[in-house]
Amino acid sequence: MNDSAHLVKKLPNDIGGVEAGPIVMAEHTLLPWEKRCHALADLLDFKKIINTEEKRRGVEALGATVIGSLSYYERWIVAFGNILFQKGILTPEELARKMDEVEARHAGAGEV
Amino acid sequence: MSAHEHNHEHGHDHPHAEITAEAAGYYEIMETAVRELLAEKGLIGPAEIRRQIEVLDSRTPALGAKVVARAWVDPGFRARLIADGRAGCEELGISFYDDTQLIVLENTQEVHNLIVCTLCSCYPRPVLGLPPDWYKEKPYRARAVIEPRAVLAEFGTTIPDDVEIRVSDSTAMVRYLVLPRRPEGTEGWSEESLAELVTRDAMIGVVPATLPESVQ
Amino acid sequence: MSATSTAGRLQGVVWALDEAPAFAPGDPVRILTRTPIGHYRVPTYLRGKSGTVEAVIEPAGLDNEQEGFGRNAGSKRHYYRIAIPLTEIWPDYVGSPRDGLRIEVFETWLERV
Repeated sequence: MNDSAHLVKKLPNDIGGVEAGPIVMAEHTLLPWEKRCHALADLLDFKKIINTEEKRRGVEALGATVIGSLSYYERWIVAFGNILFQKGILTPEELARKMDEVEARHAGAGEV
Repeated sequence: MSAHEHNHEHGHDHPHAEITAEAAGYYEIMETAVRELLAEKGLIGPAEIRRQIEVLDSRTPALGAKVVARAWVDPGFRARLIADGRAGCEELGISFYDDTQLIVLENTQEVHNLIVCTLCSCYPRPVLGLPPDWYKEKPYRARAVIEPRAVLAEFGTTIPDDVEIRVSDSTAMVRYLVLPRRPEGTEGWSEESLAELVTRDAMIGVVPATLPESVQ
Repeated sequence: MSATSTAGRLQGVVWALDEAPAFAPGDPVRILTRTPIGHYRVPTYLRGKSGTVEAVIEPAGLDNEQEGFGRNAGSKRHYYRIAIPLTEIWPDYVGSPRDGLRIEVFETWLERV
């Protein structure tokens, strides 16, 4: 067997039984954008634009490095972007332009 | 050790990195941009987002606690809840907006239940709200299925060896809610007072219901 | 196949393939060792492990490995709550030999022991 096969046979989210440290009991209240992101996820599923299983698959597809570095809702929104591109609902250019616009708006309003 | 595990190990130096976002940055802007683009295309309306946030805000462990307290005082309800968890909660007006089913796992003198989602973060959101960070992070997800007794000990819970531990790993449309044991010394208590003994963590199964002494 | 219990049922009604669950509570089953890429919902720690059907979960659900690729109206599959002793999963398990795992598994992932 090729040495790299384990990289594709076991998805990065599939961690039941692997070595891990102590449980960190710290909790945080969701930031407003995180809660909006959760609501967005629910609506995308209700309307079957991106169902919950597609969201999970989209997060897995980000790969171990990205999953290990991004926060929970950061992973979700990046996965949503990718899936919306794949489905032809958004284009990368559209999203980039809109992000520039949102950033400029926030800067102009003196709030981020 | 795979590259993925290395990355998670690295993450332990920054316990909040996995969950907590940096203040107002790139990803928040991305979220706003995606949402606004979908609204411009008529796919999702701002009012729908606001409504769903209200839905999320209305789901807290207090709902689950009321379900448990009702089950403690009403044997008929308890039987219906165990037969069909979703229908039991729906009797109390709790809707299952995510279209999941619910299995209620009753703790007894012989069996202690614990819930986990090793693959992601499946959780009985309609009745408990959103899960705590630790439930979504690697240590709990990785270890609950291989050393549940050690995991419980980290929550201060010791289960005698003659009590069977059942770990339920969520993977599909089914969610779980643990029905903790009613503490002794609560005979005659009102449903409202009983509900105060039922914490979120007790309904995940990592701790027992609060003892009556500690709330009086 | 047709349902195995015939009590009170009319004779001569033929059920479509896969219309009835293949397994019943109490059946010993093994989780397959296959290794799909892309997306799956059966964790690798359970592949090849043996257990018992505790319950048939109703109604049948959409195959989530298809759903993960946007097939919102994909195949309906029977699925089951499976009981597996923790000592079967982890030979060095520390705890009571009665400690166990419960998990929902689609029929496509199970074989009869």
